[in-house]
Amino acid sequence: MVKFLVTILICMIPASAFSLSLTGETVWQGEKTIREQVRVEAGATLRIQPDSRIVFDGVGLEVAGRLVVRDAVLTGDQWTGITLKGVGIDTMVVGGEISGARTGLTVGGGSPRIEGVTFRNNRIGLELRQKSDATVSGSLFRDNLRVGLFLKDGSTAGVVDNRFERNGKFGVYIYRSTPRRFVGNIFNDNPTGLMISHFGSDPELVENCLTGNEVAVLVDKAARPTLRRNDIRDNKVGLKIHRRSDAVVEQNRVSSNDIGVSIAFSSYPVLHGNDLSGNKAAVYLEHQSRQWEEQLGSATRELEAGKSVFGSQPRQSVSESERKPHQLDGSIDATDNWWGETALDELTRKGADGNLSFIDDGRDRPVFEDGDGSWPLDKVRYAPWRTSPIDWLKE
Amino acid sequence: MKRLGLLFSSLLLLAGCTTESGSGISGELRFAGSAISGATVEVYLKSGKDRKTQPFVVGETGQDGRYQLELPSGNYFIIGKKRENGEDGRPRMLMAECPTNPVAVENGMVEVPPFALQEMGRSGKLVPEPGTALLGRVVSEGEPVTGAFVYVYTEASVDLKGPSYATSVQTDDAGTYRIPLPQGEYWLAARKRGVGGRLGEPTPGDLNGVHPDNPVRLSRGSESRLADLTLRPVSNESFQQQQAAGKFATTETAFVGLVANGDGEPVDGIYLFAYIDSGMVGKPSYISAQTGGDGRFRINLGSGGSYYIGARSNFGGPLEPGEWVGTFDGRADHRADIASGRTVDLGVITVREIW
Repeated sequence: MVKFLVTILICMIPASAFSLSLTGETVWQGEKTIREQVRVEAGATLRIQPDSRIVFDGVGLEVAGRLVVRDAVLTGDQWTGITLKGVGIDTMVVGGEISGARTGLTVGGGSPRIEGVTFRNNRIGLELRQKSDATVSGSLFRDNLRVGLFLKDGSTAGVVDNRFERNGKFGVYIYRSTPRRFVGNIFNDNPTGLMISHFGSDPELVENCLTGNEVAVLVDKAARPTLRRNDIRDNKVGLKIHRRSDAVVEQNRVSSNDIGVSIAFSSYPVLHGNDLSGNKAAVYLEHQSRQWEEQLGSATRELEAGKSVFGSQPRQSVSESERKPHQLDGSIDATDNWWGETALDELTRKGADGNLSFIDDGRDRPVFEDGDGSWPLDKVRYAPWRTSPIDWLKE
Repeated sequence: MKRLGLLFSSLLLLAGCTTESGSGISGELRFAGSAISGATVEVYLKSGKDRKTQPFVVGETGQDGRYQLELPSGNYFIIGKKRENGEDGRPRMLMAECPTNPVAVENGMVEVPPFALQEMGRSGKLVPEPGTALLGRVVSEGEPVTGAFVYVYTEASVDLKGPSYATSVQTDDAGTYRIPLPQGEYWLAARKRGVGGRLGEPTPGDLNGVHPDNPVRLSRGSESRLADLTLRPVSNESFQQQQAAGKFATTETAFVGLVANGDGEPVDGIYLFAYIDSGMVGKPSYISAQTGGDGRFRINLGSGGSYYIGARSNFGGPLEPGEWVGTFDGRADHRADIASGRTVDLGVITVREIW
């Protein structure tokens, strides 16, 4: 049997510096200040023991091997954070806190587990990229300056039962990614709770609770998520579906928001089987016109997408045929929804093509101005409608 | 060696240029592993999308595939082309851009490394021929490497680094790859980055290697199975050496300055890019190391000239949310001029966060 030389470093008292490169087995315990960038080499393991407090003095920790952290505080002032590079499922960060970093934890590829961790006061709490298949559960993302959890580059992570509160811009930002599970998360008091952006972001978002946000869910730039059985209440805007985004919105409770669903710029979502009661405006259309889309949609998008990073040369990563709506009849499909008791009376009185007080569309504002022209605003197709409340969690 | 005339010598006169005695370029064009005769050599003053004018000079290769063109001092972009009928009788276009563009001419003749023309498809990429491919396996310490990127270069002069590869594929679960290609001569390299991406300089711990049989030759209609391509981890030492000797090596000609946010605070982690092309797209000619905590940067340049300067926090690819980006705004077109051997302070380059 081959014997390995195993280095075990157990430090019980404050230390000032560590070697640049860790090989073998290393254990950190107690209070430490790290003043050099540390790297855990492939095949090596770093364990950070419970109740440890590791302060990073402007540097960070990079892991190509294995990291096991339990109930430890990893903190600093503008430190670079922890980077996991293609680590396996045996890397785990469980409990404890990661704070004060530019990006608290960056996961590039791999499939680590992050459970019950508090991410706070980082610029970005946790960033998953390069098709990372990480699992993030039971964690708290609070007071991060920009984003709590950022998924990008085709990450297929599982995101389950986390809480996102008071983050500077976004609780969660899903960018060109489709997480394999996105279930049971709570969003509160964020400017935008959940952002789903760009073509290629097609996640299924199930049974999440979003309350008290400026915008609970923002779907943008040709993203096509499916939202089912989510509870979206008491936000300024429940759902904002923007710039050619065709979300599927089914069996959700979207109620008691200032605006339930805001639809803009050639987006054609499908709203079926939802509880849309109690919003000041259940559905609000803005700059949304079949005619505008047919005449100017493609050209406008190509102009916008045709910007290079620095200049004005064309760049194109998504074809217009992929973005273009395939069926245009000047209406938004919002049939088979429950609009509330008061709304039911109005629906009964005004019928299938009435100008309803809780829907703000082309019946209220027949045209809008854009450039040199005025364009007919689309209408919401709401009939048939539900005549009794929806048990939205069971349907 | 056959010497070829300059078709656009009148342009030189109109531009008031004169060639220094015997200055210019010479080299060889190749195709499918052999020298190619009758190919056109076009010389431009600008690269890429700026190349909207006629070529500055045009020449042709002789029977031995070689060319020689007289040029005044300056930086030039060389393109090789040949339109001909393929073996199936259909017309085809062979083309390639010299991988060492821009080529600097100062005194005397500059020997340009040989480069191979490739058959162009409508997309401008390599067009695989039926039943023609390279096959192989990528290993490390004797074990297959899954998800490594295998890069196919058509030239060795680029050191098999950077984004100038012709195509790339990723190895499967068995560490194997199959790359459909046209017949030709190729150099293969492979990398597996810890973070899994296709682009970016390999850092310590990443796996890196080149094929032991480079260049490999591929015949039309054959599926050539190659020997294993072995990857080895990039060590801290080799990485540091690479940094010192590579694109970040200090030169006598450089732009320096400070990157700051809208509040004037230094921003770290920013790369500075110097393009010769005013469109500022594609591969930059020079790139800085990332700024540190003081926001200071230095872009080391191979020679003086006019450059278009951009700054961003990512190494490449489309802009991502949360990224910092900015340009040198001393001129509206972001251009900065510098003479060889000088250091020019560009002042503060302001970057903004994109969301």
